Amino acid sequence: MIKVENLWKSFPIRRDRPGLKEFIVKSPKFLNDNNNRFWALKGVSFSVIKGESLGVIGRNGAGKSTLLSLLLGVAQPTEGTINVSGNRTPLLDLGAGFHLDLTGTENIIINGVLLGHTEKEMRERMDSIIAFTELGEFINMPIRTYSSGMIMRLAFSIAIHTSPEILLIDEILAVGDESFQKKSSKALLNLLNGGVTTVYVSHNMEAIKKTCVSAIWLEHGEIRAQGETGLVVEEYLKTQG
Amino acid sequence: MQISRRTRQHLDLLKLLVKKEVTLRYKRTYLGFLWSLLNPILTGVVLFIAFNIFMRFEVENFALFIMAALFPWTWFAASMTMSANTLISNVSLIKKVIFPKHFLLLSTIIAQLVNFIFSLPVLIGLTLFYGSAPSLNWLIGIPVLVVVQFAIIYGLSLLISIANAFFRDLEYLVNVLISLLFWMTPVIYPLEAVPEQFRLLLILNPVTYLIQAWRDLFFSNMLNWHNIFVSMITAAVVLLVGLLVFKKLDRKLDEVL
Repeated sequence: MIKVENLWKSFPIRRDRPGLKEFIVKSPKFLNDNNNRFWALKGVSFSVIKGESLGVIGRNGAGKSTLLSLLLGVAQPTEGTINVSGNRTPLLDLGAGFHLDLTGTENIIINGVLLGHTEKEMRERMDSIIAFTELGEFINMPIRTYSSGMIMRLAFSIAIHTSPEILLIDEILAVGDESFQKKSSKALLNLLNGGVTTVYVSHNMEAIKKTCVSAIWLEHGEIRAQGETGLVVEEYLKTQG
Repeated sequence: MQISRRTRQHLDLLKLLVKKEVTLRYKRTYLGFLWSLLNPILTGVVLFIAFNIFMRFEVENFALFIMAALFPWTWFAASMTMSANTLISNVSLIKKVIFPKHFLLLSTIIAQLVNFIFSLPVLIGLTLFYGSAPSLNWLIGIPVLVVVQFAIIYGLSLLISIANAFFRDLEYLVNVLISLLFWMTPVIYPLEAVPEQFRLLLILNPVTYLIQAWRDLFFSNMLNWHNIFVSMITAAVVLLVGLLVFKKLDRKLDEVL
């Protein structure tokens, strides 16, 4: 279950990163300089009940990714509150935390533990993860020998095998070649139908309509429309010409 | 003993990060992990030759005199230089995965501690060579000083790493400051060799006490509680400030990385 109330998020804007000189001259004051901030989200509120999926649409720079990082907890809201209950699994930037000199197997363990599981839990799941990747003997090679598609497959397999309760997805469904894409879409739909709460950011309106009951349309950090997916998508598409 | 799943998970994470740090460093070399042992041995051999054959000082057993302080110093200095970069070089991880960020620092420091522990055989060998032997004092002194130095390094690295995310100049400054500190700490010379009028500078430097405590232990085979106690106070202060600052700036970290 996710509940977001009056969420604001701003970032400092600077032409140049401040150096030590500025730090000494202005002291830490400028960290809180409110005139010099860009507001990525301006008073966003919504909630997603357990087991439902929310689609998030909008143009580039509308604040969609910022919203996801706040939901994930890697960024803190400037104002407002976020309540997320459940084990969060990001499908944001597949392969974050991979180390190129480690083998596929080693990366499965370390990535799973980073995502909040114990080493033992990951070893128990190892076989099904490896089977899903279809990487064959490559699984015991350092992943610097992998193609980018293979790395994505590995990352995707780990993520869907970590028994997510809250899934945060940022436009990732183009994983691997055609047959793996079908397989990964199917696995994802299985998760969604199996009671996982999902927030799904995408530019693919068909995918959003297929997977999400409701949707929000973000523009310049504000919610422009909110409600049943079909209607929100229709309204959004009208403005896109 | 039953430990909670959360603790277990954190221990696993720390273990894996340390393992990654220790083994990956030599991943593409032929000798691999052996380098951790070989490094201090080679340093020892070089210093031994330099100070026993080429340069002779008034101090007895000068090679041991230096190494007794140099190995702990290396742990300190290497951890400092590396931790300045730790948060910045793990941006992709920090921005995409929720996990305790300070584990990155802990694992860097522990990996350097492992290297330091690998230098102990060299110190023991040299001590035996000079005709004395490690005493019970080592069994007490090493764990105590490791904990104290760990706390000092950890506190400082919390400060440096988070400050460097906001003011990237720090990364370059740290290198200069570390080498300044090296010369302002009696690592490769005795405190008594410093002219009287400058000695106050060294006495005001808290690292002096830590390094002297190590040397008293390894070189003179004694526990100097005065030095150890001053170092403990330094550790407590540095750790407290580090934790407070890190906690305060951590909330803003996502905005600057």
